[in-house]
Amino acid sequence: MGRARLIGAPAAVSRKRMSLDAALDVAQDDPDAALLVRYAQGDAAAARVLTVQLTPRAFGHALRVLGDRTEAEDVTQEALMRLWKIAPDWRTGEAKVSTWLYRVVANLCTDRLRKRRGSVPLEDIAEPADPAESAEAKLQRGARLDALQAALDTLPDRQRQAVVLRHIEGLANPEIAAILDIGVEAVESLTARGKRALATLLGGQRDALGYDDDKT
Amino acid sequence: MTKPDTDMLETLFQDARATPPALPDGLMDRIMADALAQQPASGARGWRAIWRAIGGAPAFGGLVTATAVGFWIGVAPPSNLPDIAAQIITGASFATLDDGSAPELTAFGWDIEEG
Repeated sequence: MGRARLIGAPAAVSRKRMSLDAALDVAQDDPDAALLVRYAQGDAAAARVLTVQLTPRAFGHALRVLGDRTEAEDVTQEALMRLWKIAPDWRTGEAKVSTWLYRVVANLCTDRLRKRRGSVPLEDIAEPADPAESAEAKLQRGARLDALQAALDTLPDRQRQAVVLRHIEGLANPEIAAILDIGVEAVESLTARGKRALATLLGGQRDALGYDDDKT
Repeated sequence: MTKPDTDMLETLFQDARATPPALPDGLMDRIMADALAQQPASGARGWRAIWRAIGGAPAFGGLVTATAVGFWIGVAPPSNLPDIAAQIITGASFATLDDGSAPELTAFGWDIEEG
């Protein structure tokens, strides 16, 4: 992480030199921040690049946490809107743009899950596809992903967010800790409990999901 | 959590990573439209636009220098230039070649003619 490198910078270097190194670290660590600065200066091309890069990530996370495309779409648009609004005041080096965006998405998802809690009919939760449809590999994969989503939907909000960020978005624990505003140990605990619950839920569907057929 | 279940879960995660969800139709366009609508104007307005049009601080420095030099030439012109400011203020007539007030130039003309 950039921060660790800064802390570990040799004490002999001058303050000016170190601040230059820090700026370079930030630029290398977070090209999105440079794009956001260009966006705030009126560069339409930067707006396009940021949109193309960040929208799929925000939508992917929102969809896997919420399990609902319409809600995920709303959350994604809202999160990006907040990014555009904050762009002129963005302070480079304080946080990665993607971390900030994931955090907004996570909070918006939590708000929606809170409102939804206790009011979701069971039939609205995605069901694993009928095993009879899994003759072809494509359908099988679709069924597996549906099953994963259905299992994710049963996890508590924070566990779900942590598992999705760690194992599907592929983020490192310190970044997830920053997104969820918790400690790294808490992230490890959440992901471990989440994985255990998922394994238990999905373990009973091994045959239905074709895992004993293709030995995967 | 048995080993087969863990392996199955890892495979599921890999599948999920390899299969990002398709974006809803038009979402990218709507977000792009939001971005452009919220974007601070690239062409600044008012004084800022003028400032940019003249080329910012370096160009402004040049303009100030040129203005100051021009003003000073007006106030205290070099000896071989007519003092227009004084003529305007005092109402004195302009120097012309045929009124005898510029003998050096006339004499120079004769010198040329005589070789």
